[in-house]
Amino acid sequence: MATMNELRASMPARQRVEEALNKAKALQPLLNAVVTFVDPQSQLDQLADKPETSMHGVPVVLKDNVCTRGIRTTASSKILDNYVPFYNAHIVDKLQQAGAIVIAKASMDELAMGGTNLTAASGPVYNPYDRSRMAGGSSGGSAALVAAGVVPFAIGSDTGDSVRKPASFCGVLGMKPTYGRISRYGIIPYSSSLDHVGYFTRSALDAAQALKILAGRDDRDMTSSDREVPDYAAALNSDLRGRRVAVLGNVMEAIDNPQVKALFEQSVEALKQRGAEVRVIYLNEDLMKAILPAYYLIANCEATANHSNLDGIRFGVQQPGDSMEEVMIRSRTEGFGSLIRKRFVIGSYGLFVENQEKLFRQAQRVRRLIVEDVTRAMQDFDILIAPASGDVAPKLDDDSRDQLSDGVLIAENHMIIGNFTGWPSCTVPMGMIDGLPVGLNMTSHAWDEQSLFDFAAAMEEITGLRDAVAEVK
Amino acid sequence: MNYEVIIGIEIHCELKTKTKMFSGAPVLFGAPANTCVNEIDLGHPGAMPCVNRQAVAMAVQACTALNMEIDPLVRFDRKNYYYSDLPKGFQITQQFHPIGRNGHIEIETEEGTKTIRIERLHMEEDTAKQFHYDVGTLIDFNRAGTPLVEIVSCPDIRSGKEAMAYVEKLRTTLYYLGVSDVKMEEGSMRCDVNISLRPQGSSEFGVKTEIKNLNSISNVQKAVEYEIERQSQILDQGDQVIQETRRFDEATRTTVSMRKKEGAVDYKYFPEPNIFPIRLDEAWIRSLQQAMPEMPEVRQKRYQTLGLPDSDVRLLVANKDLADIYDQVIQHTDNARIAANWVIVELTAALTKRNLKLSENPARPQDVASLVDMIVAGDISGKQAKVLFEEVMEGHDPKQVAEQKGMKQLSDSSALLELINQVLDEQPQSITDYKNGKDRAVGFLVGQVMKKSRGQANPAMTNQLIVQELKKRIG
Amino acid sequence: MEEIKERAYFRKLARQLMFDLSDQEADDIIQEFSTLTRQLQLLEKIDTTGVEPMVYPFEEPTRFLREDEVTQVADREEALGCAPKVRECHILVPKVVK
Repeated sequence: MATMNELRASMPARQRVEEALNKAKALQPLLNAVVTFVDPQSQLDQLADKPETSMHGVPVVLKDNVCTRGIRTTASSKILDNYVPFYNAHIVDKLQQAGAIVIAKASMDELAMGGTNLTAASGPVYNPYDRSRMAGGSSGGSAALVAAGVVPFAIGSDTGDSVRKPASFCGVLGMKPTYGRISRYGIIPYSSSLDHVGYFTRSALDAAQALKILAGRDDRDMTSSDREVPDYAAALNSDLRGRRVAVLGNVMEAIDNPQVKALFEQSVEALKQRGAEVRVIYLNEDLMKAILPAYYLIANCEATANHSNLDGIRFGVQQPGDSMEEVMIRSRTEGFGSLIRKRFVIGSYGLFVENQEKLFRQAQRVRRLIVEDVTRAMQDFDILIAPASGDVAPKLDDDSRDQLSDGVLIAENHMIIGNFTGWPSCTVPMGMIDGLPVGLNMTSHAWDEQSLFDFAAAMEEITGLRDAVAEVK
Repeated sequence: MNYEVIIGIEIHCELKTKTKMFSGAPVLFGAPANTCVNEIDLGHPGAMPCVNRQAVAMAVQACTALNMEIDPLVRFDRKNYYYSDLPKGFQITQQFHPIGRNGHIEIETEEGTKTIRIERLHMEEDTAKQFHYDVGTLIDFNRAGTPLVEIVSCPDIRSGKEAMAYVEKLRTTLYYLGVSDVKMEEGSMRCDVNISLRPQGSSEFGVKTEIKNLNSISNVQKAVEYEIERQSQILDQGDQVIQETRRFDEATRTTVSMRKKEGAVDYKYFPEPNIFPIRLDEAWIRSLQQAMPEMPEVRQKRYQTLGLPDSDVRLLVANKDLADIYDQVIQHTDNARIAANWVIVELTAALTKRNLKLSENPARPQDVASLVDMIVAGDISGKQAKVLFEEVMEGHDPKQVAEQKGMKQLSDSSALLELINQVLDEQPQSITDYKNGKDRAVGFLVGQVMKKSRGQANPAMTNQLIVQELKKRIG
Repeated sequence: MEEIKERAYFRKLARQLMFDLSDQEADDIIQEFSTLTRQLQLLEKIDTTGVEPMVYPFEEPTRFLREDEVTQVADREEALGCAPKVRECHILVPKVVK
């Protein structure tokens, strides 16, 4: 396949966009990754006026929670099935200014509230490496389309690990920069204090170049940062000598799959050989086990408020009713999937005055303790690494896992640390197990995305999985 | 039975900003429906709030005027409920950390000055406006997101009169600050009154009702007085007051039940995650405080020092725009009392006659001032002054007009004496009449002098000088 | 979190959030609550005495405030174009009884 730069060198913009669209359409029956195809004509017409960036004329895909002016944006929820925003998310303007051509809106878990991409209104997204398996979620469509070689770049969003987990299952690079690095304006939210804009690429260089385009202060998102955006690509350096790496020991102990462990250990060995100083660290085990419940509460409490605007009155799908109340109730009942409504009930329960102290606020307190623990443990390290998942992508119908086992509580949820702290975090492929990819997750200190790109570049050299593309069967 | 009345008042005021509290859409009263909105005001998915600097500035000034402690760390919270006029399904407000706390204002009561404590002032956003018709409810989102301050008093108010005085005082204060139009009729100031009764001497609070829909200051008093009477009767009969929301019905001048309060509604408040706490710069706060216009009580003292009668002071202080005009006039004259009279009586009458608002006043302050000076100096007669004032209302200089029209009043005593003695020489009968105690002879003589002077003699001086000369002649 | 909750409780709670739950969905929640309850015990176990809730990932206060200038106004046709029911340039809902 081709990374962004290679693609740009290979053929004219119109042709590569057309090829990408054709491929996306051809794969749609197999992957079900697209919610809406976008006619690229007007974007291509304006291309001549755009500056020569690394994304000039590059076909890209947006997760369907990114508001696009004049283009249907559903967040994979029935209640937004007909929603055509009249405004662009900040990053859409940024991408279009850079000459990127949006060819599709990608499937996701409904309202980004899931990790399987099984809950999309348009049905599950299938893993490009094995269509009987999940692509992961919530940014599953974006991950699958990059993995399948449809586009070299796709936007996702990451509240718990919604970019980094599907990246692991689909064998691509999934990047979640520091909280505030990329404006969230126009991204249909899940949980505002945890939501990050993220993205997928198939190379470290692409990832570095993309952040330069996406990052920067946007006054419409008061939580976005006005820190200067460095030229990550120019500074890209895969030399790891003297870099201090912490291996998250708790995760290693929680993983059952020996092949995953072995792959990870191989990766660690390779990093050491390249001069990295690696040590195993442990976070407080009780805190590690509290990550999921704390996350679950914070995310669902914020989500129930964030999605109170979805009532079928000012936009979206309205159900008939004899009173305003009935219209709202019917629109929301019909418009939200079962799982979403259940999550809202739990979120609302956690916010009740009589519960808020011991549920929502307790979760926020535990969040602080976890952040403090990580900060303390990471004082002398540049980067924290662990397998992004304890296993390869699960089967579509897999619900066998004990939700209270360490394998789930710790191995499958440790990446939430990146959302609690707001620190940048990135998943890159570390190898294949029986033809299925597994990812390595790396987390660095706030604003130090550079280290992640550097390590991602090193991992590419180690694994040879730069620009790896799934052959969809 | 004797009851103690406990009243607390919540006031919502729309701030006079150019844009919304959390969005860059315009705030315009009376604009066509849904033309002052964007994705934020309509609660579209993905939109995010961004705090308006001017709204915060106005809140800081309001806190200062109400003697409040200002929290320099501005934080916002979500208040969650579902309603068709609430686009996001939550209102962004300041539940946990209001920008202002622990303030007070003073009101005048029959027993003298009374301090009403103010518990809190916080910033929030307004809802959309709904119009109810048979076909359904029509919603205009122009008002949605308009900046509001909510000001909550402590339960220090004890009567309808005090309630009215409190609202009036807040209204004047905010109007003086220029932060709000405070028009109760148009809804830019809204007032909810909480009222309960308890037996005199009791320390427990009684069951309270909340009165809404008070669209004028006088209705505040009427509603409270009715509600006191209603609750007293219930309690006298040994019944329980029901906790409920009532509205004031203007036609019957009564309060009518709107809805019962079944337990407290849980708004599930929590901190707004999309707005980080904002640290206000101390120097900025100080500069806002220094830039505050004169407050009513300061103006009142100043007018008292100028020697204005109490009625004029009250009237001017209550009418800021008129007082502003008056202040411009007295920059050009030292005759403050007479000027007050002319501004309050003649100017307002002349504007009314012309169907003009105060803001459209065509009279230049320096012209009003010179007219006042001319009157005091006795240069013109009262009659002439009225004629000249009409000219002033046309934007003309009264001195010039008086000269052009020869409207000078003869106030020079030597010139007057000459005229008077001429008249006395011609009218010996009048001197005899006066000597015989017929006082009306003086009036006749004044008339003769006026005639001779072609109306320009100063009548008061003439009168005085005639009496003086008559006394001389009858020796 | 005590396990006293029944179907009716959750359906009432759902109503407050302006949607309905089927019997099946209400039962699912009751079941999920038991898993959740055990997960939440892991949360309750943590001693958070004297710890402030963490609301934002970064806690350095900001100083930015938006200037009071008109920046974004939607075209009315576009704004109303998203609404399912519109009448006389207003968004229409069945009569709201206040």
